[in-house]
Amino acid sequence: MARLTSRGIGKVRPGRGVVLLCAAVYFLLPLAASVIFTVDIPGQGVNFDVYEQILGAEGFVASLLLSLELAAATIALVLLLMVPAMVALRLGARRLRPVVEIVCSLPLVVPPIAFVAGIATVLTWGPEYLSTTPLFQTFVAVQNPDFPVVLVLAYTVMALPFVYRALDAGLRSIDVPTLVEAARNCGAGWAQALVRAVLPNLRGALLNASFLTLALVLGEFTVAQILKFRPFAVWIVGIGGSQAQMSVAVSVLSLFVTWLLLLAIAAFGGRTPSPTTTEK
Amino acid sequence: MTTQTDATVAPAASANTGTDAAAPAVPSGRRRRRVGGGFAVVPLLAFVALAFGIPALAMLNGAFTVKDPATGATSYGVANVTASMQGAYLTALIGSVKLSAFSAAIGVVSGLLLAQAVVTSRSRMLREAVLTASGVLANFGGVPLAFAFVATLGNSGFLTRRLDLTDKGWSLYGFSGLTLAYLYFLIPLMVLTITPALEGLRTQWREAARNNGATNAQYWRHVALPVLAPSLLGGFVLLFGSAFAAYATAAAMVGSSIPLVTLQIADALAGNVLVGQENVALALSLDMVLVAGLVMAVYLPLQRRSARWLA
Amino acid sequence: MTLTAPQPKADTADAAATVEFRGLRRAFGSTVALDGLDLAVRPGELLALLGPSGCGKTTALRMLAGFEHPDSGALLVDGEDVTRVPAHRRDAGMVFQSYSLFPHLSALDNVAFGLRMRKVGTAERRARAAELLELVGLGDKSGRFPHQLSGGQQQRVALARALALRPRVLLLDEPLSALDAKVRLTLREEIRRIQQELGITTLFVTHDQEEALSIADRVAVMRGGRLEQCSAPRELYADPATEFVAEFVGTVSRLPGRTNGTGAVRVLGRTVPVKSGSPAGEVEVDVLVRPEAVRVAADPEGNGQVVAATFLGATTRLTVRLPHDGPEIKADVPTADAGDFAPGVRVAVTLPDQSVMVVDRAG
Repeated sequence: MARLTSRGIGKVRPGRGVVLLCAAVYFLLPLAASVIFTVDIPGQGVNFDVYEQILGAEGFVASLLLSLELAAATIALVLLLMVPAMVALRLGARRLRPVVEIVCSLPLVVPPIAFVAGIATVLTWGPEYLSTTPLFQTFVAVQNPDFPVVLVLAYTVMALPFVYRALDAGLRSIDVPTLVEAARNCGAGWAQALVRAVLPNLRGALLNASFLTLALVLGEFTVAQILKFRPFAVWIVGIGGSQAQMSVAVSVLSLFVTWLLLLAIAAFGGRTPSPTTTEK
Repeated sequence: MTTQTDATVAPAASANTGTDAAAPAVPSGRRRRRVGGGFAVVPLLAFVALAFGIPALAMLNGAFTVKDPATGATSYGVANVTASMQGAYLTALIGSVKLSAFSAAIGVVSGLLLAQAVVTSRSRMLREAVLTASGVLANFGGVPLAFAFVATLGNSGFLTRRLDLTDKGWSLYGFSGLTLAYLYFLIPLMVLTITPALEGLRTQWREAARNNGATNAQYWRHVALPVLAPSLLGGFVLLFGSAFAAYATAAAMVGSSIPLVTLQIADALAGNVLVGQENVALALSLDMVLVAGLVMAVYLPLQRRSARWLA
Repeated sequence: MTLTAPQPKADTADAAATVEFRGLRRAFGSTVALDGLDLAVRPGELLALLGPSGCGKTTALRMLAGFEHPDSGALLVDGEDVTRVPAHRRDAGMVFQSYSLFPHLSALDNVAFGLRMRKVGTAERRARAAELLELVGLGDKSGRFPHQLSGGQQQRVALARALALRPRVLLLDEPLSALDAKVRLTLREEIRRIQQELGITTLFVTHDQEEALSIADRVAVMRGGRLEQCSAPRELYADPATEFVAEFVGTVSRLPGRTNGTGAVRVLGRTVPVKSGSPAGEVEVDVLVRPEAVRVAADPEGNGQVVAATFLGATTRLTVRLPHDGPEIKADVPTADAGDFAPGVRVAVTLPDQSVMVVDRAG
């Protein structure tokens, strides 16, 4: 009966058209203008040289690789920390739930710039107070420019709120205790029950969490710039001064690629169809 | 934390270490499941304490540490915090609050209109495209969109040249330009925030209102907007917080020519202004945390109420 | 039908309205929801619209409320064509299946909502709303919000809200289907009591035949967007107009029979009269019988064998298989005697000397 009745009071509404048109202009115009900006060079006419030059640009490959490595490490770390904790909260440690929720919301209260101010302060302790202790080596290691572990730690903290929400939404839609009990009733051990019964049902949530973390790390600028590392976003800003066209070209490309990735995830069943408002 | 939750953690401790001080006669069979639960949360809490707690404490400590420029001796005091509330820093703080409040207000209204248009649209493709695009813009944001705006409305941007905007007094590198750029990620953020609430508006409510003699306008005035109010307010504080914390867009777009607290912190940290201002940067950071904390304190209860109504 | 503030109408049966559906058609794409529905509701009666899901009963109700619009046909209330009147001026109070209360308003404000829309003064509308809450037995819950009320209480508030504007017609769209069995029963009686007290013309949509038969003055059985039969419950059960109604309302078993061309049918070795419309000549037919009209007796030489027995309370329903891979037939016996009819026992199945309904042989 849902099919028959839910569209009952649908009418043609001109307001919707106007709103969608305004939104389309506002959101598409800068993108279109950016593309034109990159291919239509004053005095030279239209050419696509800048897109050909991207790959060869100094620092492009290195910075993009660095960002991707950081993203991979961050995703691995944040999921490793969050998934067992979140599943455990559903299984038994219910009283810890508000604690975890608050802990995972804390990064929202501390803006990235304030967070990195704190990190920068801590990092100065190394040379100032600890240079004679073995801990100093650790400080040097986490700041290795080839793979700054400190960024992974910072990004993991910053990803906590998003990952919490994505996993929580995923766990909400499945009954973890029953799943685990059913699996154990069928002879599965604890680890098997988690890996074979719970995680497959969380596929969408895990994909979502991973994607959000990937987007966060690829686009992250504040922490990396203040700590003087040079991943992707910092590189774009760096070349902005001398090669405006290329910085815009890379920006637009990165937006499109991220969007396509997200669309692919949505299409792969990462998101279940949202519930309609009619019950009947 | 672990000492409070004796039922969940203490038996585990006793099982593993052999001490049974904190676990008096717990029927172990019933508790065993909860033991694993407690343990799985420990790495997360430990990580946050290390990676988040230490920098946060360092910030707090630094904000209240005053360094004597002459002797280099340090002592605790409120000089940094006081300094962060004066002169250029105060201007920056107020500038940030103004910009954030203004752009958040516009973002809430536009985001609501756009989300409603998308939610009531019958095209699934449009819906999916807008929601995923919102996901990208709201989360990825920052640098790329700054450059997109520079290319469009900057001094040599596409529209600026085509429409001779510079002659008409337009500049992207000011308050209105930043607002325009911020909206590019604030509106998507609002769409993401308000869409579940709009979907939670039941058809029955609209029909019940109509059935009780309400016109469409009366339905919105007396039912839909009041029901959405917590979500709208929640959306506003979320957008405010997001704009307040934004740094990348402003830094990539305008450098430090606009008084914004995030730009000031970055400058002070880099020692661009005056040497020895690092601790003022930490005090400014503390100011930001206080504002953001206030925002969250408003947001969370609103979120709860809205979830109860629209579940 | 106008927007004027509600006049203190007499809440009595003589003010009650008639409702008429005339040739209503409505298609949603390729699905036909209503296929020429004709139905007249008498003033003050409670008419149940009964049918399987997708039969168009909800569409018909929502059309009367103004939420759906017919492709053709007309809706008349008191002889007045309301087909083009917008939903908010329909003068028909509706109770929805569930979750229709405004979550941000208290029970009292929910009930007073319609009066507020019509700019009735605060004091007057609060008094009227309180009175209505009293009527549905929730006088002490006026300050509660929907999430603080149980499902049954929410539906009571919804009923009070539907009555607040003194509508000419009350529409109930499966109002009990989301409730527990026990609450469903008490609320059903409550709705009936209030309906009779107010004497308001009422349409009640349900897919539950027991609910329809027990509450309604008349029951309209719908199928595929058309009306199959509209009769009083007793008549509907005892004298179904069509095969569909016979099988949808209550339980029937099919027995093979052969008509003799003179208004009787030969079934189970004897000849019984046919109710009406007996086919001419001698043809193979199915005889439809209700379980309570079938007699069984334990008999080692009997023609049937009990295959199952279902305890229903006062009676026990037996499933009996007739010989030669014959049909299974349901028969009710008093539970007190059910001990004689354990599965496997051979029984003799007979029909009493009552007229029966016959239909063309299935398959």
